[in-house]
Amino acid sequence: MKKLDLRPRLSARIMDRTMKAALWAVALAFIAALLVVMGAILKQGWPVLNWGFLTKMPETLDAGGGIRPQLFNSLYLVALSLAASLPIGIGAGIYMAEYAKEGRWMNFLRLCIETLAATPSIVIALFGLMVFVQALDWSFSIRSGAMALALLNIPVLARVTELSIRGVAHELKEASYGLGATKLQTILRVLLPAAAPGLLTGTVLAAGRAFGESAVLVFTAGTNTSMMSPDFSLKAPGETLAVHLWYVVSDGTLPDAREIAAGTAAVMVLVLLVLNIMVRLVDRRLKRHAR
Amino acid sequence: MDFRNTNAPAGPLTEAVRPVALEGNGPVTDEALILPAQASAAPLKFKRPWALLADRGAGTVFLVCTLVLVALIFSLLGFLAWRGAGAFVAIPGNTGRILSLREVFLGLDWSPSQDRFGVLPFIFGSFTVVGLSIALAGPLGILTAVFVTRVAPRWMRAVMRQAMDLLVGIPSVVYGIFGLATLLPLLSKGWLDEQPAAGFLASALILTVMIVPTVVSLSIDAFEALPSSLDEGARALGSTTWQSIARVLIPAAWPRLVTAVVLGMGRAIGEAMAIQMVIGNNPQWIGLMRTLTDKTPVLRFLFTPASTLTTELVQELPNTAAHSAWNNVLFALGLLLYLLTMGSILLTRRLSRRRA
Repeated sequence: MKKLDLRPRLSARIMDRTMKAALWAVALAFIAALLVVMGAILKQGWPVLNWGFLTKMPETLDAGGGIRPQLFNSLYLVALSLAASLPIGIGAGIYMAEYAKEGRWMNFLRLCIETLAATPSIVIALFGLMVFVQALDWSFSIRSGAMALALLNIPVLARVTELSIRGVAHELKEASYGLGATKLQTILRVLLPAAAPGLLTGTVLAAGRAFGESAVLVFTAGTNTSMMSPDFSLKAPGETLAVHLWYVVSDGTLPDAREIAAGTAAVMVLVLLVLNIMVRLVDRRLKRHAR
Repeated sequence: MDFRNTNAPAGPLTEAVRPVALEGNGPVTDEALILPAQASAAPLKFKRPWALLADRGAGTVFLVCTLVLVALIFSLLGFLAWRGAGAFVAIPGNTGRILSLREVFLGLDWSPSQDRFGVLPFIFGSFTVVGLSIALAGPLGILTAVFVTRVAPRWMRAVMRQAMDLLVGIPSVVYGIFGLATLLPLLSKGWLDEQPAAGFLASALILTVMIVPTVVSLSIDAFEALPSSLDEGARALGSTTWQSIARVLIPAAWPRLVTAVVLGMGRAIGEAMAIQMVIGNNPQWIGLMRTLTDKTPVLRFLFTPASTLTTELVQELPNTAAHSAWNNVLFALGLLLYLLTMGSILLTRRLSRRRA
């Protein structure tokens, strides 16, 4: 007697196997792409990386320049832009999560945040050039760059704040009101602390994005650096690592432009890797703490 | 947290703290709380006056933060429209020739030094690069999302998430230098007998890697939003995993998958620096592609140095005098870019509304 075969048709089974293998291949291809990009950058940059490269001033015509002011400017600009964008971003996020009522107004606000978040950085760059550099006459400076970067950060921070606050357990909020706290007290002492892990991750993401940003800064912070370093002046020109990397390659007057670009790229990738690992560690610790 | 009544006279506190008169208008009034022995004391307030005052002001402060954000959108649009319009109508401060919309948006020749400002090469260039990269990143991103949600073991899911986070975190100039120093030599050795490889293919490949994480993470959301009964039903009818994916899950998630791809497109069209470093920057690419005869048509299309909207802005804006015709047209290109991204956002909204 023939046994009843309830399995799918042979052709379907073969197809299933093949497609599963194909899906693995696609996924592994992206991991390979990541490893190739990272590997190539670190391999080309490694010979250049040393203490002198990080701490020397850049050269304008000769080989052997360093990236000291660019490194400083990158960190300084990220800090300044966060200082400018955090209050507004978090404030807007709180408004969206706790004050705005669902409906047309909320829809409109969501649309605004989405649009601003999706605005190409080159468009933000044009705006920064028109408003900060030209209209306010701040020229290519740290302050123009910081403000333009802040525009880039604000929608990211607003969205992260809104989502993190909405993610807080409802009981916490109710308990706070039950104790007689006002809405503001509830937000400041219950919701924000409970939303802190999400806020922190979002802030670090925004910082990482600002650190790697180049298009905006070419047109606002400029492609020069101050003669001294560190220079905390807001009016000083503020070329960052990302801009430097692009500028030495496309300008091409330096004999060792490729080496400097490779070294700069390696520094940027390393900084971002450290940032990424830090987020993971802090996130894990905060989550354990919350439990 | 300390919400005890600090105005309360030193006395039997237990009595004063008892009722929950949250907003002062509950059934228990302040007066009812005052014990006979303390009748002359000030009326009780449950909350500190400054806390109530701060609470009233806070909403306004948060609203102002939000309005700043809204104002940003409109000032962006306003400033770009004002400067972009300067190319076509006389505005104060304008030094350049007034151009006609026709010669700019239907013109194929971009030679600012000869007073010719046709921007079609950049528009075609942008659409070509975005089209090629989305043709790669769309299907591959959706398949990767299928892999992560349906096929991958748990450890592989974690690996994929980490990989996508890192891919999204790499700055565009770093992708640019990778393209310039590694990808272009590789392509030119592999395909072109050492001729330069800058052009659409290199740009599209770089761009694909840059936008795939966006497509993947949104597509994962799309698949995870599906009710599990869909997959279970298909399996119960005897489907294999792939049959369930191809005939049930992908069709069911389709509108959201399209949204994911459109948002990826929005990211692609705005990317500037990475492409600028590998595309070769040649506004005359259409003419060059016609005259080059040493390569096959396909190779010519893939490897002719070209330009896009964004690369042109990065390349030429720093060299132009403010308010000249050249400068104004570049701002008009910026406005066009902004409108295109706004359009893609509105499109995704329309798509998601139809779904609901």
